[in-house]
Amino acid sequence: MTEEAPRPEEERKEEGGTREPRDAAYWARYAETLKVSDVPEGAAGINVEGRRAVGPLQGFGKMWQKTYRVRLGGVAVTPAEVIKTWKENYTEFWPEGNRFYAPLAGIAPGEVALISGSLPGGVKLSTGVMVLYADDESFTLMTPQGHPFSGWITFSSFEEDDATAVQAQVLMRANDPLYEMGLRMGGHKMEDEMWRQTLANLAAHFGVHERVETHIICVDPKLQWKEYRNVWHNAGIRSALYSVTAPLRWRRSRGSR
Amino acid sequence: MNVGSEELPGSLHALRGEFEETREVQRTRRNEMPQAQVTMDVRRVSDRVSVVDVKGDVTAFAEGVLMDAYAQASEGGVQGIILNFEGLEYMNSSGIGLLVTLLIRVNREKQRLLVYGLSEHYRSIFQITRLDDAIAIHDSEQEAVKAGGA
Repeated sequence: MTEEAPRPEEERKEEGGTREPRDAAYWARYAETLKVSDVPEGAAGINVEGRRAVGPLQGFGKMWQKTYRVRLGGVAVTPAEVIKTWKENYTEFWPEGNRFYAPLAGIAPGEVALISGSLPGGVKLSTGVMVLYADDESFTLMTPQGHPFSGWITFSSFEEDDATAVQAQVLMRANDPLYEMGLRMGGHKMEDEMWRQTLANLAAHFGVHERVETHIICVDPKLQWKEYRNVWHNAGIRSALYSVTAPLRWRRSRGSR
Repeated sequence: MNVGSEELPGSLHALRGEFEETREVQRTRRNEMPQAQVTMDVRRVSDRVSVVDVKGDVTAFAEGVLMDAYAQASEGGVQGIILNFEGLEYMNSSGIGLLVTLLIRVNREKQRLLVYGLSEHYRSIFQITRLDDAIAIHDSEQEAVKAGGA
């Protein structure tokens, strides 16, 4: 989690004694870098611990806004109930092939989750996300440096034409030139499929088997060449190096006993 | 630096009076779109700078209001768009997303986006979302107008 957790309602007063805005409890507190408090078995915090969280403005590639939406028609469920279910069972709705290690404290502002996945070409990837924002009807995850993309994913639920709709919206840029290439060579397709499958799994949980609508906009076609150095933090490369050097670490730890 | 309104030099008030447009359109869309709990009034403070006074909630539902206000604020070759957040009451992550897309539009038009009037809480949100890397935050309208090219 980030270094400072949200404070309880009664303590939420600003320095000057004035009441904080009503969204104050929903946002993560600012911390310079991310901190992983617990590394579950099978996960690795190497590409999260000490990294900065990055938004769509810090990435390298084109900026995309991708919206995936499904209507839970014919089901009597409120947006708040949908989001509560989603937060509590986030891991279960993820498609096979990737693993999301939910934070022990759940999807709450400032918490950090670890992810094990794979990139196109089968490269293993250890990364994570920080819960940037969470209220009763939405929550947003923000990526760390080195993640395939730099940006936010907002999950929300709302009423739409007499039905509850569920939506995942990604606002992102590829984090570095290698990821940008990867996204163009099949990564976008993989990512779209992943979020469509996630929403389909969530809808199926409520007994709905509707098609997931996808709406993709290129917000900014420009590449941000000034960010090419983000490749230094590339989690794919670092995860691969970490795997390759595992025997060395093992020998070193034996030698130090 | 915090500059109270009583400290503002007379020239700025004169500037505001001179250029403030009488067609300050109340951009409340509450009747058309019940979920948009925000108003954005546009003031032209100089030939090259417009101020948008944001009052209420900045969420996904504010998109139409914000983009309309931006279109009005940009009329006549304006170079600096200033968002006044003194009246900001609530903002969620979708609202932050809106500001990112607005920033991209502003950059595309070779304009500058500046803000002032952020409380400590919202300054912290600009920091954590890294919006402060790209949007200049000022303590007062006077500072923002000066930086905006007036």
